[in-house]
Amino acid sequence: MQAVTPDMTLTGVGLRQPHYRELLEDRPALGFVEVHSENFFADGGAALAVLDQAREIYPVSLHGVGLALGSAAGLDPWHLDRLSRLAQRVQPVRVSDHASFARAPLAAGGAVLHANDLLPVAFTTSSLDIMVRNVLQVQERLRRPILVENLSAYLSFDDAVQMSEAEFLAGLCRRSGCQLLLDVNNLMVNALNAHAADPLGACRRFVDVLPVGIVGEIHLAGYCEHSDFGIVIDDHGSRVREAVWAVYAHALRRFGALPTLVEWDTDLPSLDVLLGEAHRAARLQSEVCEAHR
Amino acid sequence: MKRTADHEAAEAQRQHELLAALAAPRADAAASPGLQAYRANAHASAERALRSACPTVLALLGGEDFAQLAREFWHAHPPQRGDLGEWGAALPEWLAAHKALVDWPYLADCAWLDLALHHCERAADAVFDAASLALLSSTEPRRLQLRLMPGVQGLASCWPLASIHAAHASNDEGLFDVARERVQAAQGEAVVVARDGWRGVVHRVDAPGLIFLQALENGADLGRALDAAGDGFDFAAWLADALRCHWLKEVALIGD
Repeated sequence: MQAVTPDMTLTGVGLRQPHYRELLEDRPALGFVEVHSENFFADGGAALAVLDQAREIYPVSLHGVGLALGSAAGLDPWHLDRLSRLAQRVQPVRVSDHASFARAPLAAGGAVLHANDLLPVAFTTSSLDIMVRNVLQVQERLRRPILVENLSAYLSFDDAVQMSEAEFLAGLCRRSGCQLLLDVNNLMVNALNAHAADPLGACRRFVDVLPVGIVGEIHLAGYCEHSDFGIVIDDHGSRVREAVWAVYAHALRRFGALPTLVEWDTDLPSLDVLLGEAHRAARLQSEVCEAHR
Repeated sequence: MKRTADHEAAEAQRQHELLAALAAPRADAAASPGLQAYRANAHASAERALRSACPTVLALLGGEDFAQLAREFWHAHPPQRGDLGEWGAALPEWLAAHKALVDWPYLADCAWLDLALHHCERAADAVFDAASLALLSSTEPRRLQLRLMPGVQGLASCWPLASIHAAHASNDEGLFDVARERVQAAQGEAVVVARDGWRGVVHRVDAPGLIFLQALENGADLGRALDAAGDGFDFAAWLADALRCHWLKEVALIGD
């Protein structure tokens, strides 16, 4: 007996190069596909042509990794120009990036470098001021609210902290009008790296203190234990862990059904495996939301 | 207000310190696991970006040495844009000056060719305006400009660039023999990079053909470009190549 395909209206997967052909030919039921905005910043070429084709079939979510919204050095105008151009071309269903920084000068008055990574900010009022200002600038340029994702962070600035991460993110949404892209895998990665006695409980408590209504999308992904560094890394390279599914279910109970992306960016599996994870997310949404009706 | 500015300056300093620690050529022995993880990620991203942009350099050096060079290059010329597809312009010059690479004198030009192909494949899509060719028979060359397709570039090298590239792109042992002979003879080649569909392609050209194309790249009118190419230049043959290989976008009246 074949499993019935769940309602996929709110569930999406990343559109990645090894799956281009199969996904665009088979056109499986999906609520949206997600791409990393920066991979489509070129003036032309094959990747943009594929994205145009995908746009004919699915709503596209532009998920950035390079706006560096927390950078005290401000945004790179070139980056914002490219994102704006891409958004005009794609007319995305959502535009998002991360609560991170990446840009800073190495010397006073010197060139501003871009680390091309999601580096953590200190949870201080001045960090919040900087991020609110940058998010407002993006939203003004794009003429739409964006979503900002919580990080998996491998460093923290404990000596400077003035508020919790959840308070920081809630303040960001309240002051800028953006929404939170809640990555529940990142919550688990952070809880494990903080050696929380009860990681699942810590993630649930994080979810419980977020104001209802600020979350606009949820991300699910796999993580790995990195033996070299003795920490857990959010590598998007495997199936979603059972404990992360449990946090997801908890978030659905609190926030209701929300657009959900299964992220898988390294060691990509066959499309069937990826779609299987997306189906599981969709089934969980139906079950949890049905039970709470 | 001053207090806010001071606090933001403190955040800027905190961010500067973290980025400086990441960009430092050598990791601090006491670096936290988190900082080590971010450094490792920067190195992996650098290697991934350059692997994609520079397949010939990768094939010449082998994976391990290439990864080491990608890491070194990231520290020597860290990116300034949030799109690593744009990164790497300084690579050819950096390779040319690298002390460990003196036995690879052609590596820098190979990197240049790889990057030219990479950028050509990312260049704006354009359509050839065939009707504009009629201007060639009706208008003085000084009043015309031959505009090239986005991404088209020419390069002369004192090494057999096209032969090295063709050997590594095809893995054909016969082509490797040709490339080796030409490297040993230090036989230079001139090339034009252009796009065929979505793929960047390398075309060998003679010296006058390259001079002519580079004059067009620099915005010369047709008359001046013909003068630069010299008496031996066969414009009709060049035009046939340009049409066949998709170098030409349009013929335009200067001032239009």
